Formats: sequence, structure tokens, C-alpha cells
Amino acid sequence: MITVKTYNLEHQPSRLSAYLDWLQMLTGAGLILFMWSHMVLVASVNLGAGVMNAIAYFFEATYMAQVGGPIIGATLLFHFVLAARKLPNTSQEQGVIWRHAKMLRHTDTWLWLIQAVTAMFILVMGSIHIWTVLTDLPITAAKSAARVQGGFWGVFYLILLPMVELHVGIGFYRIAVKWGFIKRATRKGFHRFENIWTGVFILIGLVTIIRLWTLPLAGH
Amino acid sequence: MSRKLKFNIFRYNPEDPKSVPRTDTYYLEETPSLSLFIALNKIREDQDSGLQFDFACRMAICGSCGMVINGRPGLACKTLTKDLPQEITLMPLPVFKLVGDLSVDTGTWFRTTNTKIESWVHTEAEFDPQALEERMENDLANAIFELERCIECGCCVASCGTANMREDFVGAFALNRIARFILDPRDKRRDADYFEVVGTDQGIFGCMGLLACEDVCPREIPLQDQLGILRRKMAFVGLKNIFKKHA
Ligand code: HEM
Ligand code: SF4
Ligand code: SF4
Ligand code: FES
Repeated sequence: MITVKTYNLEHQPSRLSAYLDWLQMLTGAGLILFMWSHMVLVASVNLGAGVMNAIAYFFEATYMAQVGGPIIGATLLFHFVLAARKLPNTSQEQGVIWRHAKMLRHTDTWLWLIQAVTAMFILVMGSIHIWTVLTDLPITAAKSAARVQGGFWGVFYLILLPMVELHVGIGFYRIAVKWGFIKRATRKGFHRFENIWTGVFILIGLVTIIRLWTLPLAGH
Repeated sequence: MSRKLKFNIFRYNPEDPKSVPRTDTYYLEETPSLSLFIALNKIREDQDSGLQFDFACRMAICGSCGMVINGRPGLACKTLTKDLPQEITLMPLPVFKLVGDLSVDTGTWFRTTNTKIESWVHTEAEFDPQALEERMENDLANAIFELERCIECGCCVASCGTANMREDFVGAFALNRIARFILDPRDKRRDADYFEVVGTDQGIFGCMGLLACEDVCPREIPLQDQLGILRRKMAFVGLKNIFKKHA
């Protein structure tokens, strides 16, 4: 006898929402770890162009940049697809959340809107940045400095830096409260810690951009 | 010196085709420990007998007087004017169906949602009216009672950006309700059964962690903590199913 398994979709609880929520959180957390590491690596130029060049050489000689770079790019796009499910898609929904936020004057609701807006900047600018760097290997302090001193990229990074750090900082806080790592009792303190943490990263980023802008270019 | 309070109150009667949404302004001398509930009654008695708003218990127990007070959902009976600025703007709760002015129909929404999440103890046990009541550890009874204190006022739902954007999101109220049944040993549902009702984007995975619910709940139900516990629990139920499918 042949039996056919049919799934009654109405009574089969879909696990898709659960999987996608895991992936949204994990891609977000992965990108956070990457961005923090990325900042430390780039900021090495403040210790000297030689330090940054040596680190860049290490990542290229071991093919971590060539392989890891595209993986990060793909993760970013994947995270976008996952998180975009939560964004207000129609102008009607956008109007609702905007009026709602203005009415409520509630910090965490505003933070979510900041996250949604910075996400759009990161999607476009992050992709451009990743493409530019990976199609022009090897990474050297001199090449980065020349780019920043050209003016266009300097301004580009000055915009991208706060966008990324805000999105990452708020995302860090949000994962902690959504998944219950931070409870009611510790929320306020953790929020303050996250603000300071974000501020410190923006500061390191600014110092780094200034350093690249003022790095003497060889042969000029 | 007592203040002269200025009230901007939303007015609209959806039953009346000639009515258009507008804001009416009223002035009232502030008296000691004046609550919004008393203020609204004074206004209705002395200035405008047509003003619609709801209340019953006037002591934060019935949950009928929820409204948007200077932008924040809260209970009119529990809010004292001395904690508010001189100008007070009152609007009906969003999300719920407007009855008129400040009065909304929360009842239908809560009944529908409670039915959707099967908000009752599921048990096969035969009820025996002669038997002694089942015993429960005191700590457990207290933990359940902590979540049971919800008065279905709707403030958490009205303050939730997700619930405002997406009509089918069940809101912190329902998620807290499920958390309460998960604690209750008399409810024989297993985690997989709870997953079926809230393991979706209309349930816990739709919540974006904006925590407005946590910040406005007039009963201070630990919504943030319960949402976190529930997300983790349901996320792991979802994962477990991957392995079961292939076993
Ligand atoms: C392509 C550009 C990006 C878009 C469109 C985007 C969009 C979003 C949105 C809308 C959310 C809110 C989701 C929710 O509340 O459930 C979010 C959350 C988050 N994003 Fe992004 N993002 C982008 C890039 C990034 C990057 C580069 C990082 C890290 C470096 C990041 C880290 C996070 C984190 C940690 C969360 C919180 C995740 C969660 O709540 O589960 N995102 N993102
Ligand atoms: S959880 Fe709080 S805000 Fe929500 S309905 Fe219950 S008492 Fe009201
Ligand atoms: S945490 Fe935010 S999204 Fe979740 S139920 Fe509360 S207000 Fe809504
Ligand atoms: S009148 Fe009952 S809660 Fe306010």
C-alpha cells in the first residue's frame, strides 16, 4: 500500500519564524563582533603605519581578508534581508511608527527608529566600502591615507562611522533585552554602559580618520 | 497657589456622520490630589455633559480608564494632575476601536486575543466539587499571581510600535498571559503547544524589544523579563524541532 504524507499547513506550526529570529540575532551578533575587531585593526594605524601594514599583511598572507571579506559582505546582506522583515514597508506603516514615536517620546522606541534609518545608510555605504577595499588589495596605510586625503572618502567615513556605531551599539543593547540577558533590574545601568561604549568607539574612529588624514604620504 | 489647568481633549463621535475629529479645550482649577478621573468628571458635570470616557473602579483595578496622557498611555484614575504640567492633552488609546471621545472598546480586542492564544488552563482532570483544592507551593503561587495582576487595560498594546504597525501582533499582554500558563502546573500544555500559539511573528518573534510596554504598564508587570524568558524558551523549542524531524 502506498501512503502519501501530506502536511496540513494550517495545523503544522511553522518553525520558520523561530529560525529566522535566531539567524537575525546571530548575524547581528556576528557583525557586532566583526565591527569591534575591525575598529581595533584599523585603529592600529594610530600606533604607526608599520603596525597597520603588518596586520594587513598578516590577514592577506593567510587569505583571511580574501575569504573573510566576502563572507562579511554576504552576512551583511543576509542580516539586511532578515531584519528588513521588521521594517515598516508601506508608507502607511511608516506614517504610523513615525507618529507613534513622536507621540510617545519614549527613548527605546526612538532608538529603534534610529536603528532602522542607520541600517539604510549602512546597507548602501557599507557595500560600497567593502567593494572598494576588497577590489584594491593589498590594504596599506598609505593607500587608506591617500583615499581619505582625497576628501571624498574622508567625508564618506565621517558619515559611515557614527551610522555603524549607533546601529551596532543599539543592536547590542537590543539583543541583550530581547533575549533576556539583561533584566529589568539591570536595564538602566546596561543602557548607560552601552552609551559610553558607543561613544568610545566613535571617538577611536574619529581619531583614526584624523590620523589617516594627516599621515604624511610617501613621494609627495 | 493652585494652578489653572488647561485640558486639550480629543473629541469625535464615529456614530454621528456629522462629527469630525477635533480637540476641545477646557480649563479647571487644580485642587489637592486631583486625579484625571476626578478632573474629567468635573468637566463633564460642569462644562460638557456630552464628553465620553470610561471608568468603573477608580482604583486601578478594572482597567477601563486607559487613555493617552500627554503622549503616554496610562490610567486616568491612577494619574494625579500634580505629576503633570499645567497643560494636559488627552487622547483615546490607539489600536482599539474608538467608541467616542476618550472611550475605546478594549473588551472585543482582549476577548479575541484571549481566544486566539487559548488563555485558559488546559486540563483533562475531571472537576470534583467535593475534593479539597489542589495545593501549590507558596513561591509558585506568588510567581503566578505576579503575572496574573494584569488588569487588561490595554496600555501595553497601545504603547507598542509593533502592535500599532501590525494589526495581528498579539502584544505584551498576551505574551505575559502565556508566560503565566507556562508557570502553572495545572495547565497540561507542553512547550510545543505554547509554541503553536506564540512561536510566530504574530507572537514572541514579532516583538522588537522596544519595551514601551514595560515602561507604561500601570501595574508594573515585569513584561521585559517575561518577554525575554519567553523568547528564549520558544526559540529553543523551534530549534529542538529541527533535530526531531530527522530523528
Ligand atoms: C545592511 C544594512 C543593515 C540593515 C538594513 C540592518 C537592519 C536592521 C534592523 C531593521 C534591525 C532591527 C530588527 C529588530 O528590531 O528585530 C537590526 C537589528 C540589528 N542589527 Fe542591523 N542592519 C544592517 C546592518 C547591520 C550591521 C552592519 C550590523 C553590525 C555591525 C548590524 C547589527 C544589528 C544588530 C545586532 C541588531 C539587533 C538584532 C536583533 O534585535 O535580533 N546590522 N538591523
Ligand atoms: S500588562 Fe500591564 S499595561 Fe498591559 S494590559 Fe496588563 S496591566 Fe495593562
Ligand atoms: S517589547 Fe516592544 S515590541 Fe515587544 S511587546 Fe513590548 S512594546 Fe511591543
Ligand atoms: S477606573 Fe478602573 S482602572 Fe481606572
